[in-house]
Amino acid sequence: MNRIFNIHAIWLIMLGLTLSTYAMGKFGLGGIGVVAFLLFTSIIKGSFIIHDFMELRGVSLLWRAIMHGWLWIICLTIFTTYVIGR
Amino acid sequence: MTTTTQRNEPALLPGDFAIWIFIFAELLVFGVFFLIYAVVRIQNLEMFNHYQLTLNREFGAANTLLLITASYFVVRAVHAIREGQVRNCQFWLYAALGCGGGFLALKSLEFHEKFSAGIGLGTNTFYMFYLSLTAFHFLHVILGMIILLAVAIKARLGYYSAAEHTGVETGASYWHMVDLVWIILFPLVYIIR
Repeated sequence: MNRIFNIHAIWLIMLGLTLSTYAMGKFGLGGIGVVAFLLFTSIIKGSFIIHDFMELRGVSLLWRAIMHGWLWIICLTIFTTYVIGR
Repeated sequence: MTTTTQRNEPALLPGDFAIWIFIFAELLVFGVFFLIYAVVRIQNLEMFNHYQLTLNREFGAANTLLLITASYFVVRAVHAIREGQVRNCQFWLYAALGCGGGFLALKSLEFHEKFSAGIGLGTNTFYMFYLSLTAFHFLHVILGMIILLAVAIKARLGYYSAAEHTGVETGASYWHMVDLVWIILFPLVYIIR
């Protein structure tokens, strides 16, 4: 029951984070703080997908490291290029 | 007193291992694509910021909501089959397919809007990235939907049960990968400026 509840909650949180991302774009917000927030919400959503939707929470560290590593490397590199490009 | 040695062995990857090799390869390709986009953006900052405003953010956000919801429905399908509820499993898979169909419809409208305005891969660097990245992802959504449809049909034919449902988990894992990629693509191409 708890697991089902968690999945409901995760889904709703992800919808909320997506709407916050959209709102930032709609209001034309930019800057390092905003981009950091946007990428951080992407990391949260991506972690939910990897951990709870793909159900990798209990698998070996290697597989989790590959998936989470991909997510973090991509987001950190995007952030770095954004900072360099300012 | 008896002593028992309990080792918590890590769980196996859900679904067929082969799909995970495919998923890792796909993530690598998309990852390289994203990184090239981010680097090229620095060199064409004004152009990227200008033409990004021509994209339909509403469609982009709606598509994100659709893919996340489709993923949630796929999770429900996996939970249902683990409890032996074949009909519920099918129901959630078809619900996910409905969301996937909605994504394809909105994305097709978006492409139609751009192509009607004479925009193509050769228009400029921003549109080249926007069209190729989103079209590449679009093809993955179609493939994901074909896989989910095949899983739903096999579920109806009685191939899956509470004891044997590897196929459902395999299809689900691929679909979640498609969702994961869009989670990065949406802010990167539509929002960040």
